[in-house]
Amino acid sequence: MKTVPSDGPAAAPSRRRRGASGSAAIVVVAGAILALLVFLALFADLVSPYDPLRQNLIASLQWPSAAHWLGTDDLGRDVLSRLIHGCRIAVIAAGEATTIAILIGVPIGLFIGYRGGWWDWVVMRVVEAVVSIPGIMVAIVILALLGTGLHKAMIALGILFSTSFLRLARGVVLAEREEVYVRSARVVGASGGRILLGHILPNIAPPLIVQTTLTVGAVLLAEAGLSFIGLGVQPPDASWGTMLSTAAAFMDLHWFLAIPPGIAIILTVLSINLIGDVIRDGVGRGITVAARQDAPVASFAALADVAPSAAALPPPRPDEVLRVEGLRVTVSTADGGELPLISDLSLSISKGETLGLVGESGSGKTLTGLAILGLTSVALRTTHGSIVLNGRDLRTLPRRRIEEVRGNEVAMVFQDPTTSLNPAFTVGSQIAEVLRAKHGLSKSAAWARTVELIDRVGIPRPGERARAFPHELSGGMAQRIAIARALSCNPSLLIADEPTTALDVTVQQEILDLFRDLQAEFGMAILFVTHDLAVAADICDRISVMYAGEMVEMAEVDALFARPRHPYTRGLLSAMPHASDRKPPLPTIRGSVPRPGTWPAGCRFSNRCDFKVAACERRIPLTGTDRLVRCIRADELVLEAAQ
Amino acid sequence: MLRLIVQRLLALIPLLFIVSVMTFSFTSLLPSDPVDLILGETGTQEQHEMLRERMGLNEPIVVRYVQWLGRAVQGDLGTSFFNSVSVSTALMQRLPVTLSLTLVSALIAVVVGVAAGIAAALRPRSLIDRLATVGATFGQAIPNFWFGLLLVAIFAVNLRWFPATGFSPLSASPVDWLRSVTLPAIALGLSSSAAIARQVRSAMVGVLQQDYIRAARAQGLSSRRVILKHALTNAMVPVVAVLSFQITVLLGGALIVEQVFAINGLGTLAIGAVRQQDIPMIQGLVLVMVGLVVVVQLATDVIYGLLNPKARPS
Repeated sequence: MKTVPSDGPAAAPSRRRRGASGSAAIVVVAGAILALLVFLALFADLVSPYDPLRQNLIASLQWPSAAHWLGTDDLGRDVLSRLIHGCRIAVIAAGEATTIAILIGVPIGLFIGYRGGWWDWVVMRVVEAVVSIPGIMVAIVILALLGTGLHKAMIALGILFSTSFLRLARGVVLAEREEVYVRSARVVGASGGRILLGHILPNIAPPLIVQTTLTVGAVLLAEAGLSFIGLGVQPPDASWGTMLSTAAAFMDLHWFLAIPPGIAIILTVLSINLIGDVIRDGVGRGITVAARQDAPVASFAALADVAPSAAALPPPRPDEVLRVEGLRVTVSTADGGELPLISDLSLSISKGETLGLVGESGSGKTLTGLAILGLTSVALRTTHGSIVLNGRDLRTLPRRRIEEVRGNEVAMVFQDPTTSLNPAFTVGSQIAEVLRAKHGLSKSAAWARTVELIDRVGIPRPGERARAFPHELSGGMAQRIAIARALSCNPSLLIADEPTTALDVTVQQEILDLFRDLQAEFGMAILFVTHDLAVAADICDRISVMYAGEMVEMAEVDALFARPRHPYTRGLLSAMPHASDRKPPLPTIRGSVPRPGTWPAGCRFSNRCDFKVAACERRIPLTGTDRLVRCIRADELVLEAAQ
Repeated sequence: MLRLIVQRLLALIPLLFIVSVMTFSFTSLLPSDPVDLILGETGTQEQHEMLRERMGLNEPIVVRYVQWLGRAVQGDLGTSFFNSVSVSTALMQRLPVTLSLTLVSALIAVVVGVAAGIAAALRPRSLIDRLATVGATFGQAIPNFWFGLLLVAIFAVNLRWFPATGFSPLSASPVDWLRSVTLPAIALGLSSSAAIARQVRSAMVGVLQQDYIRAARAQGLSSRRVILKHALTNAMVPVVAVLSFQITVLLGGALIVEQVFAINGLGTLAIGAVRQQDIPMIQGLVLVMVGLVVVVQLATDVIYGLLNPKARPS
């Protein structure tokens, strides 16, 4: 499946930037709304055009007019004036309940966190009990004891929301006491409690602010709810909740009454939540220093224009299963460019043959495997080249046809078997599912075949193991299962991505033997991706060496090991540990693989190469017929693997 | 699975104990004497004493707690202070009403939340993702009862598709029941669907990057199967915890939304009980709520175990 972003690559970043400025604008608007709210609350008497309690029964339930901007309610009271006085109630309510919540929650939380033991246990169980009951029910219970009214309702909400402040304060103390007791208090001999307090106060502030914004929004909604059901603010006083309560009685006569207080609540809560989000993000950034990746240096534009060269194409081989020509995979960068990750890659594999794809991490070998399957992540695109499998170019197939090809004609085994099997299903069901979906087997036939396959990959008691979940199997066992699943539909090409890297050394050899056996039996071609040359030497017929997104050398295994022609290959071979040879300083290739976007303009290995000459500044083609090499000095250099 | 259930039940014992002690102690916390509340100022000294004796208020508090708990376990939650109705009977009449409202709204919240969450996760930063995010932000700021009023104005008063008020029992007529419960359930479920959508989106985005999703695709399974079976099963693991919490929230919200639609559920009972300081009724309400929450949590644990084999005790 190739997911091409629906918009052009250039559109994405500009939209992201617009998103960032958009959210800044939202914060300004939210701040302005809250400022207006506080202003109206403070100066409600001066601002509101009428007395919010003055009735005028002749002019009841009026629509908005010049005299009454938001109309009048059932008793002819001015809705706008009531709304403005409602701001005052909202601010009082939010302030009162939040303050009570903090004053109850924080000291108790600090205390039980500090004391620990029974105090902690009992209080925490009580908190759990309170939290397990719906919040509004807790408030209702407290109101049953206190009686109704705005301030009593706010005490109830304060008690209710104190539980979250309590847990927050306790958590901060528990985190800090470890630190403090180990470091300072014991050593200096000062009073532990005092030092603890000194440490806690700066640490509690950021989460406290975040929790406060969350609480204020929740309090406003809860206050409106309590007033709406008549347990909070009592009529005739104007609060948004009581106004909605009135509106509820007149929905069929004058629905507009519900609109102003509703909008007021929504805008206020929305503003607080949005500002809370911003504060939370800010606090979060303060805590975790984001590991921002350096922007890639933009020197790739020149590279991107190199057309696939005819000379680079490998010669046709008999019984060819896969033939990749001129493959290029790119990623969209933050500034709208297209950065190549793989460029001009060509390879072919025959029936029953194993082609090794070797190179250091970051050379693009795994990506090549995924690109063949069309399974690169969404940000990546395969822009050039053809991927001909059994005579059909996969890049030209529609998504549904590619889904048919996957599993049936090509399958993949991944590096870490513990993550490539779905943890939620038994391993047997994951194989049987493929057989049922791809071959249309019945449930029982699929299961029987599954057990056979599990037996075939060398797992004892296959019927029982088929019912195990992935986490119940060892890594080696899980990888055998993954191989069984990959081979379930008898594909002509198997892509194995570092299939032994995550396994114990003793298990590695068994898995390699299994690959060899299965290849002899099923005759599939294998593309074997590995960074381990010893493994490659063991299992491959031919090896392609990849460096910085392109192939630098390709040869039969024996020829490659006997006489590498590219300096990078030689470097890899020299860096290979030999069991017999224990001379301590193992030579390494200096530096590391440059990241995409920082590749040298000419030969990509030139900045690490001992044999660099001026001509290496130009792009170097892949040359040769039987053996391929991408080095301008390949013919003159005599390279040897061993020192 | 049975072991899991038993384990979870045992873990609930401290919670139930604390809740029962807290619930019982309301009587003692009450600022006014329950006898005064019942008899008002009319009763004579003798009548007060007799009632005090009959209610067992002269016994030590521990004895009273044990007696109360013993009766409560047998389903006897006492009688209302005000109309000598059995609390259990009153609760059982109202429970199906509130419960059907809560469950239907939970169903709506899950369906809408999961669908929106998946759609947003499949195409991060796309239009549908933005709509879902904005929707989720608004959904959490809109009071459920206001949304209910709006629905009444549009679909009941104007279009007349649904009744504006009242509740028809499921047993009487399933169609009428569905019609009466639809609008309140939508009003109630809105904010929960927003919360669930946020959770599903973030869980799904994480799961879709997992190796086993890529492996399932590499095996040629259809996108639909990979997303709805392989990814969703794993993405639902964190969502189930949120869902459990959301059902508690919905239960509380139902008490208020009932008032919008004049539905005679537990909410109406609770509001009346608060106004009259009808303590046995409040106690009964709390116990019913806790009972429901316990059942929901238990169900959550079982679902969690089904979705996540690693959580099962072996």
